[in-house]
Amino acid sequence: MNGPLIVQSDKTLLLEVDHPSADECRRAIAPFAELERAPEHIHTYRVTPLGLWNARAAGHDAEQVVDALVKYSRYPVPHALLIDVAETMARYGRLRLVKHPTHGLVLETSDRPVLHEVLRSKKVHPLVGARLDEDTVVVHPSERGQIKQVLLKLGWPAEDLAGYVDGEAHPIELREDGWALRPYQQQAVQGFWHGGSGVVVLPCGAGKTLVGAGAMAEAKATTLILVTNTVSARQWKHELVRRTSLTEDEIGEYSGTRKEIRPVTIATYQVLTTKRKGVYPHLELFDSRDWGLIVYDEVHLLPAPVFKFTADLQARRRLGLTATLVREDGRESDVFSLIGPKRFDAPWKEIEAQGYIAPADCVEVRVNLTDSERLAYATAEADEKYRYCATTATKRHVIEALVARHKGQQTLVIGQYIDQLDELGEHLDAPVIKGETTNAQREKLFDAFRAGEISVLVVSKVANFSIDLPEATVAIQVSGTFGSRQEEAQRLGRVLRPKADGHKAHFYSVVARDTIDQDFAAHRQRFLAEQGYAYRIADADDILTGDEV
Amino acid sequence: MTTERNREVRVASGVEGTGAGSGPRTLAEDLRARGDDAVAALLLARPDLVNPVPGDLTQLATRAGTRASVVRALEHLDRFALQTVEALAVAPDPCPYDTLCALLTGDEGSQEIAAALPAAVATLRTNALVWGGDDRLRLVRTARDLLAPSPAAPSPTGLGPTVAEAAAGMSPGRLQQIVADAGLPATHDPVSAVAALTALFSDRQRLAALLAEAPEGARAVLDKLMWGPPYGEVALAAEPVRAATAETPVQWLLARGVLLPAGPHTVLLPRETALRLRGGRAHRSPEPLPPEVPPHARYDAQVVDGTAAGEAFTAVRTVEELVKGWDTGGPLVLRAGGMSVRDLKRTAAALDTTEELAAFWLETAYAAGLVASDGEVDEAYAPTPGYDEWLRLPTEDRWARLAAAWLAATRAPGLVGSRDAKGRTLAALGPDLDRSLAPGVRRRVLELLAGAPDGASARPEDLLARLRWERPLRGGAALDELRARLVQWTVQEAELLGVTGRGALSGHGRELLTDPDAAAARLAPLLPEPLDHVLLQADLTAVAPGPLRTALAETLGVLADVESKGGATVYRFTPESVRRALDAGRTAAELHGFLAAHSRTPVPQPLSYLIDDVARRHGRLRVGAASAYVRCDDDAVLSEILADRRAAGLGLRRLAPTVLAAQSEPVTLLERLRTMGFAPAAESAEGDVLITRADARRTPPRAAPVPVPDGPPRPDQTLLAAAVKAIRAGDRAATAPRKPAAQPAPHGSALPRTTSAETLATVQAAVLTGEPLWIGYVNADGAASQRVIEPVKVEGGFVTAYDHTTDEVRTYALHRITGVCELTEDVR
Repeated sequence: MNGPLIVQSDKTLLLEVDHPSADECRRAIAPFAELERAPEHIHTYRVTPLGLWNARAAGHDAEQVVDALVKYSRYPVPHALLIDVAETMARYGRLRLVKHPTHGLVLETSDRPVLHEVLRSKKVHPLVGARLDEDTVVVHPSERGQIKQVLLKLGWPAEDLAGYVDGEAHPIELREDGWALRPYQQQAVQGFWHGGSGVVVLPCGAGKTLVGAGAMAEAKATTLILVTNTVSARQWKHELVRRTSLTEDEIGEYSGTRKEIRPVTIATYQVLTTKRKGVYPHLELFDSRDWGLIVYDEVHLLPAPVFKFTADLQARRRLGLTATLVREDGRESDVFSLIGPKRFDAPWKEIEAQGYIAPADCVEVRVNLTDSERLAYATAEADEKYRYCATTATKRHVIEALVARHKGQQTLVIGQYIDQLDELGEHLDAPVIKGETTNAQREKLFDAFRAGEISVLVVSKVANFSIDLPEATVAIQVSGTFGSRQEEAQRLGRVLRPKADGHKAHFYSVVARDTIDQDFAAHRQRFLAEQGYAYRIADADDILTGDEV
Repeated sequence: MTTERNREVRVASGVEGTGAGSGPRTLAEDLRARGDDAVAALLLARPDLVNPVPGDLTQLATRAGTRASVVRALEHLDRFALQTVEALAVAPDPCPYDTLCALLTGDEGSQEIAAALPAAVATLRTNALVWGGDDRLRLVRTARDLLAPSPAAPSPTGLGPTVAEAAAGMSPGRLQQIVADAGLPATHDPVSAVAALTALFSDRQRLAALLAEAPEGARAVLDKLMWGPPYGEVALAAEPVRAATAETPVQWLLARGVLLPAGPHTVLLPRETALRLRGGRAHRSPEPLPPEVPPHARYDAQVVDGTAAGEAFTAVRTVEELVKGWDTGGPLVLRAGGMSVRDLKRTAAALDTTEELAAFWLETAYAAGLVASDGEVDEAYAPTPGYDEWLRLPTEDRWARLAAAWLAATRAPGLVGSRDAKGRTLAALGPDLDRSLAPGVRRRVLELLAGAPDGASARPEDLLARLRWERPLRGGAALDELRARLVQWTVQEAELLGVTGRGALSGHGRELLTDPDAAAARLAPLLPEPLDHVLLQADLTAVAPGPLRTALAETLGVLADVESKGGATVYRFTPESVRRALDAGRTAAELHGFLAAHSRTPVPQPLSYLIDDVARRHGRLRVGAASAYVRCDDDAVLSEILADRRAAGLGLRRLAPTVLAAQSEPVTLLERLRTMGFAPAAESAEGDVLITRADARRTPPRAAPVPVPDGPPRPDQTLLAAAVKAIRAGDRAATAPRKPAAQPAPHGSALPRTTSAETLATVQAAVLTGEPLWIGYVNADGAASQRVIEPVKVEGGFVTAYDHTTDEVRTYALHRITGVCELTEDVR
């Protein structure tokens, strides 16, 4: 009775990481529990119905779950919780989606009352066709995703045994010359491939693109890759050409400027969700080829229309890639039901410990507003308050001091408000990249930054995602999209690429003291703090006087 | 027959002797012949008989024969004893033991039943439902009336009236026809005709021979009626049918008397025939042995105790948290009593649990006397002083208090949220939650679990089957349903309270049945040892990997918000929580020290920074209370006042050069300043500060609610002994041979005077015999009168009787009857 695990009444599991059998325990609970927080000493996992059903889908049964809980728990596990686990897991698989030799896709059950119950639901009704017999009902093939989603919400998740289409075959090989997939990338690819579809969660800079490439090499079929923006699309292309047997000609870009459809096509979310006269003209891209694999980059940003369309693609393999499954809109469960369960994740700190991402030093710098600024802040309109305190002039001195402190190191200054960025660019004598900067100009500036010709770059939120700035060592965040946790994670990701000389990355958040800027910062930092990236808090005065912080 | 009946309850007026027969002739006599222990056993089995203590054995026997008491006694019988009573009710009276045994075992016989029967009969004797020797077993008349078949309610055995009873209304001619058609020789009168038919139907071979000739379909009709109800509906049942003219199978049976008419459209299968057809068995499935409660799952005793202890600990903590939340005022009491649904929801949210569970914890706290209504004008719930006492106890004792209160409570928390018969929602802590069945069911379920092997759990269905056997309720489906739910709830609640672990009774749960203190002692070593440290993390959380020492938990509870509970507690530090700690009088340095002392890990920088940052701003604004102030533009004057010794009692303090704050009322202040020679002017009262007191709210002393059982409590040994002694003494006095009192001349003399016991006994006897009585009666206005009545029914302190004097049926209050006297033959 001295295990590493403590089972809480709210179904969270606390794992003491320094315990000798912590690793063993983590492996035992990972199949069914979601890692929620991973700070230094005690990691928090959560047991959810979704997690339990995913475990069932992956072939674990209730007994294993109960055994794992009982075996590693420090205190006796409440009986009610064990019963609840068993009952929840028993709900999975009562309904099955299978291919019927003559009727196509059908929903069948081994528990008649359950089928009866779900068929009575108004939401299920439009998705099903004729009832073949007491235990079987026809499902419209196009509603495969929809019905899975609805059944999940009704608490009777269906086991999808209808399989996948292979799609149009296309040879793709990884070209591992002088490099190889890292062990965790390998695990992620395998986890995904054996599960069929699903989401891989890896920290920024941990090489998610390679996981995608690995999955493509497994599928050896035509692939549709959905990314957030054009820059990111180019990067994918670049990386694929470098790392796989694919050639430039085999990879198409489907974006606002180019509309190529090739065996491997990279499309942006933006172009897919462009609406003209009430329809999404580009959604037909999904049907334009017999895709064997669909990769969703930054799946936490997947826009709602794509969600809806994804529901219709249940017969194709789907891979979601993301750094955080935190969605500010709370639609995590849609990701799970439509793209698939989480197939792999690893605590950031663990990958850092393996040396694949750079260790980072996160510092929150608190700036004291001047008396006149405080008065102005107090009288500002509620909807202007954040903008005011996030862009105060006092911050500028601190930012200048920080840039000066890291002189010679590649530094990114990231912010939300264009006025502030322009002003900063002027004072720091650094180029500014914002929404209106052309793609060509952006690429040019990024190249210059990569080459070390420019050492300071001021960027707006356009640089939040998927741009590869390998040698950025210092990031200074001056303002953000209110309290967005995933933005914070993405921004930190900018500096986590391993450094050639192996030194530490620095991430600064400049925050106005005693304002809502500080509250938002606290909210934004929570995700990273829970990933073990604890912020230190420093006073602006110490920075200005050049003290060690 | 009348004299037979009469004996059972006949007043022991000294005229009874031992008689010719060897056995007792009345129940009273039977009781008299039993030892003190047997009488004590009766009183123990039927505690309602002790309240009030009966005057003598005759009175005891009389009271044991009342309907209400007999019904109660029947309700407490197990299924086999009840089946035995039911069999006796359809058996001849008196009934030899062998006949009874045959009725239960049937023609085939059954070792099991034969073995179980003596115990059942003994139980019935103990309960004074059956008396007499084995050769003449007598069922108490009331019980027989309750259980014997009548057209309104067929016997529970499904047997109908006897041939004699069914043929009572038939014409002698018709009877002779039936006798002839049944192939019997003609008899000379109806009585012998009935006897002949009875003999025919009771004889297995002759009945079989008769039925062998029956046309097709007759057997099906009999099969349908065989196990009851014995009545069937047919057209023209009362029409006299002859064998020669019988067309349908029913007519064939009617002609031969196998079926007898019971009404114009009803036929019945007489008891003898049905019994023969059943193979002599009164019950289709006699259940001599209680159903087993098989172990459902078995766990290591250590696992069970550990799990239960964990739950017990959680239970205590939950109740504490619940009641603590009401420290500064609990929810309001609804006008109809209880807590509103909204408050229940709020409580559930505060406890982070469901409403059902919240209701359970509330009721448990209430049952243990920890919360109660404060009885103020705006009635609200609040912790009782008993709660403070409870808090001071060690955890195991606190648990024992809760568990013992739960075990004995008649309130059923599971009912909260359901609707009563009038459609009103039953509120938590509200009225109408008492179910007298509850404590019995709870205790019995735990006892059954205690009887199972160590570490074995049982399924609620099996437990319920056993309870159903042990006490077949006569209250109908609703009551049975309630019991089924109570069993379910008991199993769940026992788990929640940590009485059971994984469904099996824990060691301390076992002790709880006999001695809560021993249970506490047994639980103590199993409870987790309180810790003196926490783990601090940079995401501003602290994890206490187990229960904390009370002092530590209290301080941490102020300094941080609880985020997750269970085996461990997760705390989160926020600016608000840190401010709360500073408000409570801690300084930043103290907090740093506290964290450093209790953390196993270095204090993370963001946490120290947070404390300093909040402390930096804390207290920059100051708020205080003053009763009055003194304002003056000339600060020299104020200095003068401050320096003046006469101003010492005013509680003056300088807030600013030109302002003094005072702790005395403006009037006092004004007067004092005037006596000091100043000429102050009063200012309007604005800025006066109200002082609020934040005392913890408590009710006046409140006792825990008393359980409401459905009968008088079981008498304890002392009371029992005293009662038996008293009854014996009374009995000796009553039965001592004495000279017959001078018979009062019935008419024209003074009112008869009898004691109330005698009155009751005589009236009850008269009900049975149907004899008229002469009574003295005082009406509501106090006017005395004499009447001649024929009592029909005695119930609830009233006699319903036909009044010869006024020629009507009316009721008389027993306590107003001043005396009774049987009428002599010549007067009738």
